[in-house]
Amino acid sequence: MSRSLIGTRIRERRRTRKVTQTALAAQVGISASYLNLIEHNRRGIAGKTLLSLAKALDLNPRDLTEGADLGLVNRVREASARNRTIPTELERLEEFIGRFPGFARLIERLFDQQQAQDQNLQALSDKVSNDPFFAEAIHLMLSNITTIRSTADILKNTTNIPEQIASKFLSNLLEESERLSQTASDILDHFEPSNPKLEHINEENTPETYLEKNKFFLEELENAEITPEQLAASIGLNNEDEQDLAIKAFEKYQTMAEALPISQFLKEAAKLRYNPLKLAEQFQTDLPTTLERLAHMPDEDHLPKFGILECDGSGSVLYRKQLPTLSLPKYSSACPLWPLYRSMSQPMQPICALFDMPTGERFLSYSIATFAEHGSFNMPGRLKATMLFTQDYQKILGKNTIASLPHLSVGLQCSVCPRNKCEARRSTYILG
Amino acid sequence: MAKSVLIIEDEPFIIEALTFLLEREGLELSSYSDGEGCLDVISNIKPDLLILDMMLPNVSGMEILEKIRNSREFSALPVLMLTAKGQVRDREAAEDAGVNIFMTKPFANEEIISNVHKLLKN
Repeated sequence: MSRSLIGTRIRERRRTRKVTQTALAAQVGISASYLNLIEHNRRGIAGKTLLSLAKALDLNPRDLTEGADLGLVNRVREASARNRTIPTELERLEEFIGRFPGFARLIERLFDQQQAQDQNLQALSDKVSNDPFFAEAIHLMLSNITTIRSTADILKNTTNIPEQIASKFLSNLLEESERLSQTASDILDHFEPSNPKLEHINEENTPETYLEKNKFFLEELENAEITPEQLAASIGLNNEDEQDLAIKAFEKYQTMAEALPISQFLKEAAKLRYNPLKLAEQFQTDLPTTLERLAHMPDEDHLPKFGILECDGSGSVLYRKQLPTLSLPKYSSACPLWPLYRSMSQPMQPICALFDMPTGERFLSYSIATFAEHGSFNMPGRLKATMLFTQDYQKILGKNTIASLPHLSVGLQCSVCPRNKCEARRSTYILG
Repeated sequence: MAKSVLIIEDEPFIIEALTFLLEREGLELSSYSDGEGCLDVISNIKPDLLILDMMLPNVSGMEILEKIRNSREFSALPVLMLTAKGQVRDREAAEDAGVNIFMTKPFANEEIISNVHKLLKN
């Protein structure tokens, strides 16, 4: 159950009842400044304080805790921003999502599909512009046409052409026509929508959606009840390429689960306050694998919730686990100020930083960029950056540590980020 | 004495058609279908005109053109370049490299015959 909008709901309810922050805070026995942080979703809230606030506002605690999450709010907001010809009542967005979560999810899904189709179109456009096959095929077709045109012209306009030569030219004409047909057919096949290389757009069955459905914790792989190949075969993928990708994804999960067995890891993680560097040292494994492990723990209330984002040296997203309060772009790059991208300028240097979103949420992040093993001589290093993030940082860090960490002001993407004076801005804020 | 034309082109049927057309114009035709080693071929044949395809196996027509223009022996050899790449930047690159006439495929027979005569006359 998400609690990301609890603060917003408390603030709205308090204002409706015309109660000041000071009065409400005094009534439930907390400071006004702490209530302010709760109302801006900067502090988590549960247990006794939640019950007291619900009682003071004459609400059932479930009214505060159930409903939409901030990730969904952000996605629907982004959908609205990308379709500006239809005016939407953004000021009532949270109310809409709270009342009609199913329709909100539908908008989110349609928006995701729209983005996937945009990606598909972009891929096709790239194919036409840069595809070596297409360039070669067009060259071949023009050569075929040149032969046909020139030969047909000779046959039609030349008098007294020796029979043997005429016969040879007719044969050339036939052969070249067949080659032209074949080239045209090859081009059609290349751009056929059912081309398996384009089917990645169908996202109903992917390793990522399977992990998402299982809350990013795969018991069957944790307990070695099934092999990555068997699991990949069981989730209904479209073709062999997708199967291969799924096997690789599940093998990666299996490697992580073997290096850091979950029951032992959870005990040590609690002792070491989920510090990834200390955990990596304890289990004698690398930091990226430890970051992955922290993002793939059982979905239990007492455990901090971690999201993860992995990208390659170009910034393209390789893997993501979102949090309800932080939706991550999949097809476009995110805010360049994220520690994830910063880590790429300092490979092998772990970075720990807090970052603030324009909407008020604060996240703790651990990032590192590493190089993949060298496959051959004289090839440039393949960089991969990983960023683990959580909003539950107060559960795992002391106040002094929090105060000593760098605080970064970041956004989601320029188009939906209101930080107008940001020097890293690369496109305008389309909601403004 | 008949003037000689060398065609460097990797499409055999285009070579056959051009050979037929230009022999009827009283020219002596030779052909070669690879980019590699063609300078030796030019050196042996010593043509009065070169018809050169831009996209050839191994060595491109542009590289051959540059070598011709940089050579002491053939720097003045008239070159008619054929290409399926008709973009402005390709034409400009060929002109910068010293092509005499640049023709895009597909072309009309009369057009290439006319251009061949133009270059041989000069």
